[in-house]
Amino acid sequence: MLERLRDGLVLGVWGAVALGFILTGRAASYLHPSFHPWLLVSGIVLLALAASVLIMPKPACEAGCACGESPSSTWLPWLRAVLLTGPLLATLVISPSQFGPVMVHNRGLADSLAMLPGYSAFRDPALPTPDERPGEEGPLVPLSEYLEQDAEGRIVATVADLLYAANIPELRRDFEGREIVVVGQFLPAHRNNPQGDRFSLVRMFILCCAADARPLAIPVQFPHADFPSMSWVEVRGIAKFPFEGGRVTPVVEGRQVAPCEPPTETFLY
Amino acid sequence: MEFGNDSQQEPVTVFEFSAQDFSYAFVSVLLEGMPFILAGTLLAGLLDEFLPPGFMVRVLPRQPAAGIAAAAALGMVVPMCECGIVPVIRRLLRKGLPVSNAIAYMLAAPVVNPIVAVSTYAAFKGQAPLEMTALRLGLAFLTACLVALAAQTVRLEHILRPGLLDTNSVSLPLLDFQSQISIAARLGRALQTAVADFLDVMTFFVLGVAVSATASTALNQEVLLPLALEPWLATFSMMGLAFVLSLCSTSDAFIAATFLVFPAYAKLGFLVLGPMLDLKLIFLYQTIFRKRFVAGMAAGIFLLVGLMSLRLGVLVL
Repeated sequence: MLERLRDGLVLGVWGAVALGFILTGRAASYLHPSFHPWLLVSGIVLLALAASVLIMPKPACEAGCACGESPSSTWLPWLRAVLLTGPLLATLVISPSQFGPVMVHNRGLADSLAMLPGYSAFRDPALPTPDERPGEEGPLVPLSEYLEQDAEGRIVATVADLLYAANIPELRRDFEGREIVVVGQFLPAHRNNPQGDRFSLVRMFILCCAADARPLAIPVQFPHADFPSMSWVEVRGIAKFPFEGGRVTPVVEGRQVAPCEPPTETFLY
Repeated sequence: MEFGNDSQQEPVTVFEFSAQDFSYAFVSVLLEGMPFILAGTLLAGLLDEFLPPGFMVRVLPRQPAAGIAAAAALGMVVPMCECGIVPVIRRLLRKGLPVSNAIAYMLAAPVVNPIVAVSTYAAFKGQAPLEMTALRLGLAFLTACLVALAAQTVRLEHILRPGLLDTNSVSLPLLDFQSQISIAARLGRALQTAVADFLDVMTFFVLGVAVSATASTALNQEVLLPLALEPWLATFSMMGLAFVLSLCSTSDAFIAATFLVFPAYAKLGFLVLGPMLDLKLIFLYQTIFRKRFVAGMAAGIFLLVGLMSLRLGVLVL
């Protein structure tokens, strides 16, 4: 009886955690959306299994059959139960639902499109002009038809949008010199900051989950910016694309930077 | 990497642990992998109850090398991820699947499958995608076969854990017993098996994820960049990174492709090794194999993949 209660509780904890993450929306901060249905179904299945372990009697089992009998040791299954629930519950309590500056530093900031997982240029780059600047091509689709704008007419952009714009001339023309609003996480800029008046605006890009998370970053020019590292800020400013370090670099000339709430989906995909 | 004048120089630390980052990565990877382990254990429970003993021996080629090759290629028909495959292999071994065939399928299936082929091709657009995809699948197939062939020379009692060793043979009397109980009762037994497997495999998974979350968040990946200049160092350091990061085989190609300074053959080593051998799999494999065999198999896979990636990758890529 005790063994069934123990195993049922372990299954129940995992099922409750899985379902809890989906129902509270916390899963959006941990997993790519394509994994959410898997987590939901597995939560339901685990709770059903927990109930079956607690309620149903053990089916008939002949001696020698491989039906997963517990090992002869009496304390190992209890240790296993602690190992399966303790670390999970403890990390749930202390986990802040986002990475901190240490991980971002260790993974390295991706500040060019080539470092974006899954990026591939869909066209050949334009030939450079005589003064060695990248060539320009004609626009494809009018700005108003595909770029979201806020009530004041500012383009609502993401860090990834600006990185793309730095590499695609048609897109760059739609952003360059225009007022934009972009949300991201604040990080002091220790590189590419000659005047000391820039900070990095970071968004985490994932394919599956935190294991493959890559910090994307663009510089924001805004003197005396002082926020806690990795806190969420909203930047309003002008998008510029200067030629720095041998390539076109997106830089936001900040007009206003203020703390803000994290977006519903904290990752970029 | 960033360019321009540095206004401040950051000190380079190789290893810096953050409890916040560890806990976040730990929970994230657990929640990502758990559904697939659950699916694997449910499948394993059904196989254990409903797959007739001796079936695997009857359908696979009798010639050992042909059987190994067939098992290694099975992932193209029955793809499995590296987390879910372990409980399935455990139950198939109980049903009499030859150990060498089990090893071949276990190592190859997470890589040699259509999903990984498509994702690898997509990730390496502009970086010889066809060659990289073909080499990835081909080297994984070859490695799995070679490791499985080598395992044939090892005594069974040195490979399998005692609980599996006793049941890796066809038990004919069980057939008579099973035919006497109802389908509902058999489903109940399958669920019981699945629960036992889930709890067992998840224990090792939690341990493995804890180690990999520590390493993947605390290790400064920038210290690897200078290693890209020397072929041997580049290849083995990328393989070491794959081992530490413990990524899924469906998405690891996109990560590998971003390491622009590393040569293609080094990235090939990353892609072939990762789904076969990483920090969490080292723990998961111990639900099937003895520790010493896991250590030996890991060393063999590491060397094989490294040498083949260097030799073949340099020629083709």
